[in-house]
Amino acid sequence: MFDFNVCIAGAAGDGVKEAGEILAKLLSNMGYRVFVYQEYESLIRGGHNASVVRCSEKEIHSHRYYYDAMICLEDYVFEIHRKRLRGFLIHDSEFECDFEPSFSVPMLEIVKEAGMPNLYRNAAALGALCYIAGLDVGDLAKIFVAEYGDKAETDTEIASKAYEYAKENCRRVLTVLRISEGDGKVVSGSEAIALGMVRAGLKCYYAYPMTPASSILHCLAKKKFALAVQPENEIAAIMMAIGSAFAGKKSAVGTSGGGFALMTESVSLAGMAEVPVLIVLAQRSGPSTGMATFTAQEDLHFALNPAHGEFPLIVASPLTASDAFSLSATLLNMAWQFQTPAILLTEKHLTESYESAEFDENEVKVNELDIFDSETDGIFPRYEITENGISRYAVPPAIVKANSNEHDEFGITTDDAEMATRMYAKRMRKEDLIRAEAEKLEPYVCIRNGSDTVVTWGSNYGAVVEAAEELGYSVAGIRFLRPLILPEFKGEVVCVECNYRGLLAGMVEKEIGKKVSRILRWDGRPFTPEEIREALSKGR
Amino acid sequence: MGLRTEVKVSWCPGCGNFGILRAFEKAAGRLVDEGIPRGRIAVASGIGCHGKISDYLRLPSFHVIHGRVPPFLTGLKLANPDLIAVGFVGDGDGLNEGVEHLIHAARRNTDITIFLHNNNVFGLTTGQVTATSPKGAKGKSTPYGNPENPLNPCNLMLVSGATFVARAFAGKHSQLVEIMYSAIKHRGFSFVEILQPCVSFNDFWKIREEIHDIREAESVENALRLCRDKTACGIFYRKEEETFEDAVHRINK
Repeated sequence: MFDFNVCIAGAAGDGVKEAGEILAKLLSNMGYRVFVYQEYESLIRGGHNASVVRCSEKEIHSHRYYYDAMICLEDYVFEIHRKRLRGFLIHDSEFECDFEPSFSVPMLEIVKEAGMPNLYRNAAALGALCYIAGLDVGDLAKIFVAEYGDKAETDTEIASKAYEYAKENCRRVLTVLRISEGDGKVVSGSEAIALGMVRAGLKCYYAYPMTPASSILHCLAKKKFALAVQPENEIAAIMMAIGSAFAGKKSAVGTSGGGFALMTESVSLAGMAEVPVLIVLAQRSGPSTGMATFTAQEDLHFALNPAHGEFPLIVASPLTASDAFSLSATLLNMAWQFQTPAILLTEKHLTESYESAEFDENEVKVNELDIFDSETDGIFPRYEITENGISRYAVPPAIVKANSNEHDEFGITTDDAEMATRMYAKRMRKEDLIRAEAEKLEPYVCIRNGSDTVVTWGSNYGAVVEAAEELGYSVAGIRFLRPLILPEFKGEVVCVECNYRGLLAGMVEKEIGKKVSRILRWDGRPFTPEEIREALSKGR
Repeated sequence: MGLRTEVKVSWCPGCGNFGILRAFEKAAGRLVDEGIPRGRIAVASGIGCHGKISDYLRLPSFHVIHGRVPPFLTGLKLANPDLIAVGFVGDGDGLNEGVEHLIHAARRNTDITIFLHNNNVFGLTTGQVTATSPKGAKGKSTPYGNPENPLNPCNLMLVSGATFVARAFAGKHSQLVEIMYSAIKHRGFSFVEILQPCVSFNDFWKIREEIHDIREAESVENALRLCRDKTACGIFYRKEEETFEDAVHRINK
């Protein structure tokens, strides 16, 4: 089965990320499933950026460790990747790379001749790759047009020149064949999350910029699918979301660990006042500022227990971009259904990677809500004590009173022991309903293939599935983390996570009462199938 | 039905908050008489003695957490621009814990009204200094005197771009009613500092004698000069400008 993994590496400002996206769209257009991992440093110019583009005839949700090809735009980035390169190298003839087989292409010269800035070397690189990998340079031009419109001409011209140069001076190493008429689309996890929330009726989104969640804000602001507002800080973001939800509009916020830390007092408020709010928590390497542009799964316990007091909270984590679409919609729905905060826990490797994904609009049903929104004379019994814990939601112009203090059925402050006992229990009773609902909603994805199981969560899933399939392991990708619902495990259990202690592994151990072995990393880099395969083989 | 709930008021007898509650009932009552449904007047309060006001008003309300009234109301107003958004904040609440929100709400010209219950002290936590307590003030946390300089709330709001800034005294009922009514009616960010004596921890009822009215200034510069006098009351400054909600909805059309 054809499978091709290319790394484009250079400095920030070299257009590495864009080149990766264009190549991915070209391969998608040719009928392949694609995945793009974007690695970059927290700087705007210089440094090291890489875009690993993989295509395959089968469904993939991961890049691979070893590259079949590499495009090198700066000499100093080659050493970072040398040990991963198992195919051919294309580099700018401005510098030498000690590698065989390698093709030297005068990218800078071609760009200069066209009178364009250095940034356009990415087009030259793609043009040369088209010849060497047997891709249609005409198809590449079409992708440029789709992407850049009128401005595509320069890219096309530069790519063609590099293609011609390669034709004269290099050799064709392989021919990537068109397998069908693909849609040429790839989506980032962020876009999937944004569209999922919109599908479930999102009206207001509040976020303070923070990698790797900012791309959700950018997407919503650009597309105007919902009001996308950037407030003064994360505390304001979640308080605005609570204000909008109190007025009856579905609202969400997005941030990473540091910003979420600021939000937590308000998460508790939303729990107490039974205000629905969806929080997208996109993890990055920590503690503190950590490595701002690198992936991690260190905030699991933090997301599960973010704030003071006890209150129902829903936490779930998507496994792939399509899953991110449906799960973000599901969680926004659930937040309103159960009138409590929900957290979509994800990570940089999902939000900022691109992949082929289909969104099944029909799979996500939008709940019709029973909201009382008429004028009233008296105070609406917003917190009526009911058997299942859910009281009718009401919004102004109804006279509805919400409260951060413990309150009676009308939202009036109380210190009364009996009322406090009953009201607290009313809220907590919703946890049973939430569990019952989560059980219906595919709380985990299970692939049965052997008695031992690799358990994982979040974006490791794609890499885990490939390694497990090869080695004959079953896979359990856990989606719901609070409530945690696990499949039955027969043999040994191995947990794959991007953190130091094995945070999910510890939770699984408590649930099943036996030791779970761990494959862990906390270096900010996502797992590849090869790395998991090696770690699993060592364990056997 | 009046604007008061049946909830028993728990402020200390003689508290300046009674004057604020009564004046607000009058100002909001006037809106209701004009035909605005009570349910369209949404109020929020922070944490502190002032925060209890939410319980006492038969209006949609949210008694939120410390310092966070302005962003709550901003989100409310963005979601439903038909609502009249009124916030009650304390000096500790609005100027210590949540001062950044007031500055940004003023800068944006969010169409909300903020009434600052300024008693220069944390009352509910039994007497510590706040951002408006004078230097040297003795409190439980500063038994030998406050080492910090106070903020002038009206000055801060004027330089932050508030489009309606006023000061009133909790004990001067008719002026307070007029100012509250005008503040609510103003389209844009309105800020009213209400001098509110705390009989238990900072009783300054006697400043009644020094309270004097000013004439509305025509420039921010003049308003800044006027508000330096801490017993000067009245509307310092107001102007019309596009509100934040209008701008957001215009841009997102």
